[in-house]
Amino acid sequence: MLRASELTKRFGSTLALDRLSLDVPAGAVFGLLGPNGSGKTTFLKLVMGFIFPDAGQVARGKLSTAQIGYLSEHAFYPTRFAVRDYLTTLARVGGPAYSSAGGNTLRREIDRLLAQLGLEEFAGRRLGALSRGTLQRVGLAQVLLGNPDLILLDEPVLGLDPAAQKFMRDQIVALHLAGKTIFLCSHNLDEVTRVCTHVAVLKQGRLVRAGPLPDLLGTRSQIIITIGSLPPGLPSTLAALSPGIAVGSSPRGVAEEKSPRGVAEEKSPRGAAEREGQVTLDDDARAYKAQVLRLLLDAGVDVLRLDERQTSLEEIYLQVTGPARSPGRETP
Amino acid sequence: MKRIGILSLFLIRDLFRSLAGIVPLAVGFTFYAIAFEYGMDQAQFITVAGVGLGAICLLTVLLLTGRANRASFYPFAARLPRRSELLAAVVVGSLAVTSVIAFLMTEVALLQHKLTLDFPSALWIIPTWLAFWLFVAALALPLSSLVSRDGSHMVGYVFITALLVANDRRSFLEERRLHWLSRAVTAVLWPVATLLAQASAGSHDRSYLLAIVLTVGYAGLLFGLAVALLRHKDLLWPE
Repeated sequence: MLRASELTKRFGSTLALDRLSLDVPAGAVFGLLGPNGSGKTTFLKLVMGFIFPDAGQVARGKLSTAQIGYLSEHAFYPTRFAVRDYLTTLARVGGPAYSSAGGNTLRREIDRLLAQLGLEEFAGRRLGALSRGTLQRVGLAQVLLGNPDLILLDEPVLGLDPAAQKFMRDQIVALHLAGKTIFLCSHNLDEVTRVCTHVAVLKQGRLVRAGPLPDLLGTRSQIIITIGSLPPGLPSTLAALSPGIAVGSSPRGVAEEKSPRGVAEEKSPRGAAEREGQVTLDDDARAYKAQVLRLLLDAGVDVLRLDERQTSLEEIYLQVTGPARSPGRETP
Repeated sequence: MKRIGILSLFLIRDLFRSLAGIVPLAVGFTFYAIAFEYGMDQAQFITVAGVGLGAICLLTVLLLTGRANRASFYPFAARLPRRSELLAAVVVGSLAVTSVIAFLMTEVALLQHKLTLDFPSALWIIPTWLAFWLFVAALALPLSSLVSRDGSHMVGYVFITALLVANDRRSFLEERRLHWLSRAVTAVLWPVATLLAQASAGSHDRSYLLAIVLTVGYAGLLFGLAVALLRHKDLLWPE
C-alpha cells in the first residue's frame, strides 16, 4: 500500500530522515513511534507530497493525494467557517467521489459523516467556537471525505480527554475493520498497543525497529522470580552472573537502588530477613535461569513464584530509543 | 475548472471573513477619494484607474496567497492534484475582487458625476483592464511568500524596482551612453505601456491588439514561472 525506500530529508543542517525504508501493508494499522523531532511528521508530509525528499522515494501505489486522508497534528481550521460549509467546500474541491455528485448526494454524504462522528448538532457552528475534541472529530470527518483507502493520522489523540480518546480509538478500529489502511504517528503507547497491527520506531530520523506488533512484543520477555527473604550478599553474587539480572522489591516491598554493576540492591532499615522481593532476568539473561534458581535455593531463599512476562511496548520503545535526545533537534 | 472556481471562492470568503479583508476595500476607497476628487474623463480613467486597480489586484493576490500559505489550508492542498490549480484560483479570485471593486468605483463615480464615459468605445476598457490585471496578478504570484523559494521574491522586487526606475530615467541612461539599456527597458515595457496608452487614446489598432496579446503572453510566462517555483517547493506552513 505504502512503501518508502531509502527516504532522506534534510532541513538545513538537520537530518530529519536518514535513509528510511518502510513497508506498510494494505489493511494494516501501522503505528509510527519516536521521540519528538525523530521525523514522524516529516514522513507524513513526504507521503502527502507537501515536502520533497532529498533522496529516496515514497511509492503510494495508484493512490493520488486526493485518495489519501490526512489529519494533521495541529488543529488549525478556518475559524469563521461553519462545519457543514467547510466540509462541503472540501468535498467539492477534492473528493473524487463528489466531484460529479449533485448537491443532494453531497448533502446526504455530509449528513452521514456528521452522524457517524456525532457532529450533527455542530453542523451550523463556526469552527472557531468548537472544543479541541470536537475539532478533532471535524478533522476526522475531512479525512473520511471521499472514502480514502489510506488514512494518515498525526497524533490523533493528542490533547483529547479520555472519552474523546476512546471515541477516536473506536473510529480507528472501525475503519480498520472496514478494510482501510491506517498509518498513525503517536506518543501514546497505550493507544498504539490497543489499535495497531504493525509498529515502527524512529530515532533521530532512522528506523530502529519495525514489524508486526505481536512479533515485536513476543521477541523479548522477562522471567520474574518472586522470592521471600534474601540473605545479604546474594544480590552481588547474582549480579556477577549477568548484567541482565536485577534483584528488587516486589510491588509492596521496599525501595531499591541500582548498584554500579546494574544490580538493584535494597536499602531497608528493617534488615534482609524481613525483605520480600523479586529477581528479574531480562531477555539477555534467560540462560542463567537455572543457575539463579539453584543459587537461591542453595541459599535457603523461599522461591514463591516463577513468572514469564512479555515485554511491554513502552519497554521496547525506551530500549530502542535510548536516553533522551540532545536538545536542539527540531524538524518542521 | 470547477475546482478552481470553488477554491477561488473559498479563498475570497476566507479573506473577507478576516481582518485582512478590509485592506483591498480600504485601498480602493482611498484611491477613489484621491483620484476622483476632481473627476476624470474616459482617457484618464483607463490609465489612472486601470493602474490603481492593478495595484489593488496585486495586493489582493498577495493577500489570497497569504491565506493559502497557512496551516489551516492543508486539507485543501492535500486534495489538489496539481499545485498550479491553487495559483489559478488565486489569479481568478484576485481578478474577481478587483472587478467588483472596479465596478463599484465606476458606478459611484458615474452617480456622483465624476466620470464621463462614451459608449460604445468605453467597452474597450474591459479587455484592456482584464489583460493588464491578468499580467499584474501573474506578476504578483512569484512575489508572494507562498511561491517564492529561498528569497526569490526579493530578487523579483529588486528587478521590478530597477526596471521602473530605469524607465523613469531613460534620458539619464541615454546621456550616459547606455542606449542599449534604455532600449531594452522600452522593449520590455512596450506591451503594457502601449496597451494603456493606445486604449487611453481610443486607438484600437493592430499595435493595441499586439499589446494585448503580448501582455497576456507575459502573464502566461509569469504564471509558468510561479508554477515552476511552487511545483517542488516544500510547503512548511507557519503554525
